[in-house]
Amino acid sequence: MSLLVSLLASTLFISNAMKTEYNSILDSYPNIIITNQKAMRDSTIDENLVDRVLKIKGVTSVVARVWGEYEFTQSEKKFMLIGRDEFESYASPTINAIRSIEPDSMLISVGVYEALQKAYYREYFNFIKSDGTLKKITIQKGYIGSTIQEQESLIVMSKENLKEIFNYKESEATDLSVSVANENEVAFIAGKIKALFPNMKVVVKNDLRVEYENIYNLRSGFFLTIFIITFFTFFIIIYDKVSGLNSEQKHEIGILKAIGWRVGDVLNAKLYEGLIISLFSYLVGISMAFIFVYVLDAPLLKKIFLNNYDLMSDFSINFSVDYETLSLLFLLSVPIYIAATIIPSWRVATLEADEVMR
Amino acid sequence: MLFNKLSLLIFLSLTLFAYPQISQDIKDKKIYPMGEKIYKNRCSSLNINDYKSYEQLNSAIKDEKKCGSLSSKYSQALSLYLWDVKREDVKAYEKLSVTKKDKCQVCGMHMHHYPNWVSRIKYPKNETYNFDGMKCMFKFYFNNKEGITDILVQDYYTLKTINAKEAFFVVGSDIYGPMGHELIPFKDEKSAKSFSLEHKGKQVLFFDEITEYLVRSLGR
Amino acid sequence: MIKLLDVSKLYENDVTALKNINIDFKEGELVVLKGVSGSGKSSILSLIAGLSKPSSGEVIVDEKKISKMADHFISVYRRENIGFIFQKYNLISTLSVAENILLPLVPLNLKKDELEKRLSYVLKLFNIESKRHTIVKNLSGGEQQRTAIARANINSPKIILADEPTANLDEKLSLEFIEMLRDLKSQNRTIIVATHDPLFFNLEFVDRVLEVSNAEIL
Repeated sequence: MSLLVSLLASTLFISNAMKTEYNSILDSYPNIIITNQKAMRDSTIDENLVDRVLKIKGVTSVVARVWGEYEFTQSEKKFMLIGRDEFESYASPTINAIRSIEPDSMLISVGVYEALQKAYYREYFNFIKSDGTLKKITIQKGYIGSTIQEQESLIVMSKENLKEIFNYKESEATDLSVSVANENEVAFIAGKIKALFPNMKVVVKNDLRVEYENIYNLRSGFFLTIFIITFFTFFIIIYDKVSGLNSEQKHEIGILKAIGWRVGDVLNAKLYEGLIISLFSYLVGISMAFIFVYVLDAPLLKKIFLNNYDLMSDFSINFSVDYETLSLLFLLSVPIYIAATIIPSWRVATLEADEVMR
Repeated sequence: MLFNKLSLLIFLSLTLFAYPQISQDIKDKKIYPMGEKIYKNRCSSLNINDYKSYEQLNSAIKDEKKCGSLSSKYSQALSLYLWDVKREDVKAYEKLSVTKKDKCQVCGMHMHHYPNWVSRIKYPKNETYNFDGMKCMFKFYFNNKEGITDILVQDYYTLKTINAKEAFFVVGSDIYGPMGHELIPFKDEKSAKSFSLEHKGKQVLFFDEITEYLVRSLGR
Repeated sequence: MIKLLDVSKLYENDVTALKNINIDFKEGELVVLKGVSGSGKSSILSLIAGLSKPSSGEVIVDEKKISKMADHFISVYRRENIGFIFQKYNLISTLSVAENILLPLVPLNLKKDELEKRLSYVLKLFNIESKRHTIVKNLSGGEQQRTAIARANINSPKIILADEPTANLDEKLSLEFIEMLRDLKSQNRTIIVATHDPLFFNLEFVDRVLEVSNAEIL
């Protein structure tokens, strides 16, 4: 019983933790992202389109973003490079918090620092441009990065420098990030943008959120599978109990009746028995789940959940007590188990004691 | 089209320091925020009142480098911000925020679920009433006109607090507030008309044009 | 004080265990029901204890018609008046001696010292004090029997019923049992023993020997 409860509880805890994490990641996403496409593949966008989008009523601000990935072959790691303009405001709080970047310098995260260090790059790094030449960027003191993803692979430098590394023209950008103050209008404005730029990909943040919720919440595929399995096992146990006691248990109840126990006394005792067992397994199960998920960081189970990700490579599981989940598990296990214990006992206890002992 | 705009901008920037012609939207949304950031980071010591004309200000910033070395894009943003915004020292109204306990004075609903629709009427001595939308606010207004100091609503597009008496309201659109049919406020007529067109509004009205009868006819 | 009036008992498989039986038992009597297995003597004990109901006729104990009583009241009646020693002892093998003995008293919610008083009394009386905490399945046959007897006595019952008590014992233990019976008789209990063990047929402290054969009393 305890194992079942803890398995169930663990899965619920993990999916809750994931939800919180991706929600906070999405919080720092802009409302709408416009990406240019050529032959339905992502391509670069012209910065000057910013002014056209700004004209749309309801749009609060538009930023031309320059960002991308860079493969660091020495460690088979991919770095996330983000370009930043000193006087622009961005959706990501990490980027906004940066005070200043020296000319031709970059701010890196801990993960990047360690990777570079292993390859003996301590004070600077040579990025290889698309034409094969090198661009040297100095590493500035101070680490950046708040989410796990950022801490792993984030590098921030000036937009200018990044454009040079990516071989962007002066007015080229990776995509446009659009902020809309009034949530109500976001979908409508996305529609207007699509009408303005029919060949561009327009992604709305809320759609992303819904998509990930579908993967990681109760209705999702693998979660459902685990849920069903544990539930099924649970019901088999219950069914086994309800469909009748074995002869030894029947005999016991017969003896109790014979020495003067009333039906009520028998049920009372069975109630205590059922209550203690189910409460105990519930508490043990929950504690095991707690330890497994929050202390040990849920090794295997996490991998199962992460298998289908796009958004996160890993996520930290923060301690949170979700009363809803705990009560749900309680109601599912304890009363049902008690009922399954009492009902067959009641049936047996009401027979004539003599019959039972024969 | 794009190329023409580009050459126009280049031409304009060549014309020494003249006040540039840029659309208000772009100024509000891109240039002023950028200018504000530059001002805060680089030259909060600059006194705007020392300069009598835009050209003078721009020259001080660009040539005399009063705020450090800035590219022309940034120096223009800074100049525009300082000249248009900082100089007016436009009175900014407070953000209309509510707590979990606050209820609409007219309909009694808890407002923190719909923060974008909060409106407020203020009287002397800090007497303040909050409302769940414009409809409730107007119902209260018509019965309590005496002694009002401020009526504040949130501009629909930017959610900035604006003076209701200077705002434009769109009636009969397909956007519903928490109390159903609403009067949607905008800070300028252009925004209000644009919204009305897109969201099938029936009327665009100035504050004074709104009658008690109209508000009643919007339903409960 | 125990009367069986015109009692018949039929079982489901159409076996007639008792046919129109009429017996009276006086208070304080020690009666031996003699008969082979299946003669119906066990059924008589069962009826007196209220463990089963007669197919016809009445069983009256102490003026109470127990054959007409509801299950709830019969259980109480049994608890207060009957001490039953089963042929197979019917102890709960996973519990200890003390626990088994105290089992009938559990629903009464007595105070701990009261329970302790009664427990040590019967433990001493039937000589199993040393095995107090031993789990029943680890006891020898004799020890189990003594536990069963102790349990039957824990509530100081007016009536003691023993069904083939010596069936699984050697001669020495059987004689020990008979000695215990003698002690119980001296306490003025009504004792009915159903047995086919000849050791019981010629005891001087036995008041009556009734022969039960083929569902009738001879």
